[in-house]
Amino acid sequence: MRRILLQVALLAVLAAPLGALATTVGPGSARAQVDDVDAGRELFLTGCVSCHGPDGVGTDQGPTLIGVGAAAADFMLRTGRMPLAVPGQQPPRKEPAYNDADITYLVAYVASLGPGPDIPDVDPQRGDMAVGGELYRENCAACHQAAGSGGALSYGRHAPSLHQATATEIGEAPRIGPGQMPVFGPEVLSDSDLDSIALYVLQLDDPADPGGLSLGRIGPVAEGFVGILIGLGTLIVVARWVTRSRHQRLAEATEVDR
Amino acid sequence: MRRYGEAVPIAAFCVAIVGGLGAAVVYALGGQAQAEGVLLAMALGGIGVGLASWAKTLLPEEVVIEERPALGSGEAELTDIEDTFVERDPIHRRRFLGTLLAGALGSLLVALVFPIRSLGPNPDQGLRQTAWQGARLRLVRNDGTPVPADELNVNGVLTVWPEGHVGEEDSQTLLLHLQPGVLQPRPGREDWTVGDQVAFSKVCTHAGCPVGLFEERMNRLLCPCHQSTFDVADACRPVFGPATRSLPQLPLDTDGDGFLIATGDYSGPVGPGYWNQDR
Amino acid sequence: MITRRLVRWLDERVGTAGLGRAALSKVFPNHWSFLLGEIALYSFIVLILTGVYLTFFFDPSTATITYDGSYEPLVGVEMSQAYRSVLELTFDVRAGLVMRQTHHWAAVVFAAAIVAHMARVFFTGAFRRPRELNWIIGITLLLMAILNGFAGYSLLDDQLSGTGLRILYSVVLAVPLVGTWIASLLFGGNFPGTQILERLFVIHILIVPVVIGLLLVLHMGLLLRHRHTHFPGGGATDRNVVGERLWPTYALKAGGFFFLTSGALVLMGGIFQINPIWIYGPFRPGNVSAASQPDWYMGWLEGSLRLMPPWEVRAFGFMLPNPFFSGVLLPGVTFGLLYAWPFMEAWLTGDHAEHHVLDRPRDRPVRTALGVAALTFFTILMVAGADDVLAVTFDLEFNRMVWVFRTLLLVAPPVAAFVTYRLCIELVQRERDSQASLPAAAETVT
Repeated sequence: MRRILLQVALLAVLAAPLGALATTVGPGSARAQVDDVDAGRELFLTGCVSCHGPDGVGTDQGPTLIGVGAAAADFMLRTGRMPLAVPGQQPPRKEPAYNDADITYLVAYVASLGPGPDIPDVDPQRGDMAVGGELYRENCAACHQAAGSGGALSYGRHAPSLHQATATEIGEAPRIGPGQMPVFGPEVLSDSDLDSIALYVLQLDDPADPGGLSLGRIGPVAEGFVGILIGLGTLIVVARWVTRSRHQRLAEATEVDR
Repeated sequence: MRRYGEAVPIAAFCVAIVGGLGAAVVYALGGQAQAEGVLLAMALGGIGVGLASWAKTLLPEEVVIEERPALGSGEAELTDIEDTFVERDPIHRRRFLGTLLAGALGSLLVALVFPIRSLGPNPDQGLRQTAWQGARLRLVRNDGTPVPADELNVNGVLTVWPEGHVGEEDSQTLLLHLQPGVLQPRPGREDWTVGDQVAFSKVCTHAGCPVGLFEERMNRLLCPCHQSTFDVADACRPVFGPATRSLPQLPLDTDGDGFLIATGDYSGPVGPGYWNQDR
Repeated sequence: MITRRLVRWLDERVGTAGLGRAALSKVFPNHWSFLLGEIALYSFIVLILTGVYLTFFFDPSTATITYDGSYEPLVGVEMSQAYRSVLELTFDVRAGLVMRQTHHWAAVVFAAAIVAHMARVFFTGAFRRPRELNWIIGITLLLMAILNGFAGYSLLDDQLSGTGLRILYSVVLAVPLVGTWIASLLFGGNFPGTQILERLFVIHILIVPVVIGLLLVLHMGLLLRHRHTHFPGGGATDRNVVGERLWPTYALKAGGFFFLTSGALVLMGGIFQINPIWIYGPFRPGNVSAASQPDWYMGWLEGSLRLMPPWEVRAFGFMLPNPFFSGVLLPGVTFGLLYAWPFMEAWLTGDHAEHHVLDRPRDRPVRTALGVAALTFFTILMVAGADDVLAVTFDLEFNRMVWVFRTLLLVAPPVAAFVTYRLCIELVQRERDSQASLPAAAETVT
């Protein structure tokens, strides 16, 4: 691991002037250097080839990576969904298995396999909160829920919660359509739409909640629980206190003595 | 002389005073929902605890027995009323007049009920037709812009409306771009697609919610309300959940400028069923 | 003193002194379960008080405007005046949000208390003669509470309640023969129509509250006439009432309980957020959110709609669509049985006598078992109504859950009934055994 890093570092230092003039491999990897791709290939051969096949052609354990683009690789690796321990289940979000540098190399390599969506340049500050909210409620809330808490899909899959997503991830997912998610290309959601959606979704991570404890913002299910168990429950306890008499307490005392 | 029993009511009323004044202060300073709630609750709860504990600890304990008088009025009274009523009952003596009176009151009731009819239109037409009918209308997005035939990417989904009718609930449509070879068109609908783009009503045939979840890999549409699931490849036939009828399909074509249009209304009635939907 | 002079002044003009004396001496039995109805009554009072306040701010209008208030994520969004007025109440009116949340929590607790009270009356047999009329009034009150709650939260024109209105429209459509007409007359045309908010407003603030008010007067009036029931023991018989006098003891306890109830509701209104409509967004016909459920007291209907297998009856050109079975037939049968229960039980047991002494649930094992079975049935339906939320929270598969709930719905009530029955028999048997072993029967004190 360290040897590879060392080699890469040396190569980078020596080849930097050349690298700056290097031609790209495919439209999705404009900034990838030939050495990034090589480093990525090395990592790929150790961590990914068993499911995704040599040169990413795919196996019966994992889909082909040819044409998925830098966005897909970046999304999967940064959210820790890849590498996946048990193929076939919906990959859960977890801590990334690779550090930033390794992710960059792997992304470069996957991008080099074939043309695909580039990592989008998402800047929430360029976005419009109201537009983002409208687009979110039109296109995203049906699966991800109005407050971004996630929703159920068929056969145990689910549209995940968006509360941990970064702006870039919020831009990447619609472009690649991971899992059951449809693909939202640039003609459907423009790059500036993604900026607005990201601004809105990031706000959902920590909304105002002026009403107090948010109860998860999933609506009447949680509210019903609280209303019945805490509301009615407390009042029943209070009712028992109000109606308990000395007479009753004496009788209980007598019973205990028996 | 204060007895020990007064301690709780005294404390409770003091809490109530603090709560009430505190709530007023919070309000005057600009208000804050949580503080208002807690302080008002102290005011109300303090009075409540004070009164209840006053009753429990300061009032003499008593067990009082009250008699329940008989509920009925007794045979004599009942016979008296019955006799009087029957004796003086006008209708009993003039049956014909009584019947006519009943008829008059009944017909008045019928007449008074009729203004209820003004509350809404005859439902049939509205339920059977949507804004797509007749004209060759362009598909437009929520912002009113028409959809070119090459705009929607593969594995993509878009909610569209008839041009000029954005937001009309029964006309909401899902435009889907499927993978090649996925769709198996129903007989007679072979030319209802443009490339691999297909359109279906978004109104769930179970209870009318928008079928907003496109499970792209499985080519299924899932309705979030009651989990009705439709198989897009088989023209949205229901495959799970309470829905019984396929989502009606919208016939697509392109107009001279390359925008997507509908060549007519849906393949069937939109949305949930009703008594005479089949007629 | 002032009180004396006031009493004399009134009596000279209205003649109330005699009535007053009788009223103030009325005896009320003391048991915590008799306060469940009071929780409902006091919640209703809180609903009226907070509700009146809300009507001064709410604008029941479907006319659209572009929002320009203080909640940033919605600035520039088109919405109805109704929705905007609620945003303004929430973010720009002092004490507005606490009033609105208290109102909504009061509605939630109102319905819960009615159900709890109904269960108490059922399990203790307090619906028997002479109280059949009061039971019927009570069931109607339950129906009114459910309807008004639904109407109330649908007024806000947010996405979640709008989805609920769409489902209501579809269920009304499913009524045979007249469904399409009722739906069109109620909404003023096809869904969503342009009238529904304005009409729901009148229903919610005038028609149903007046009906509830009148029914409550009847309900309490009958209670005064019949006098309250009481548990056996402590000298209680069918010819007396054992308890505390209205003045001063019961009045202080009941009055205190009113303040405690309203205090609890206001506390919830301040610290628990409910119905955050600014997150749901304004209603749009083509939009929907995952995790769309109605308020808890309609949860059983939601579960019914979800669990119903895809059955539809089509014959001779007519249709009984699927929501008919789950949304019309089930609640129809439910309320039909509820209304008929006192008469059914009287007919089945042959007991037409007057009862003022309550049953202990264990002494009536069949009735108690049936009641538990019914509660089990409706609880399963209610939980099933949240199946997608449970699926996400506990990482389950809703397809499988639907089958599990369908099975439970058929299997669990009979099992619960059997277990309850045996439990009742067992408890009574143990009591008999332990009493038989005592030297002399001790007086049971309530």
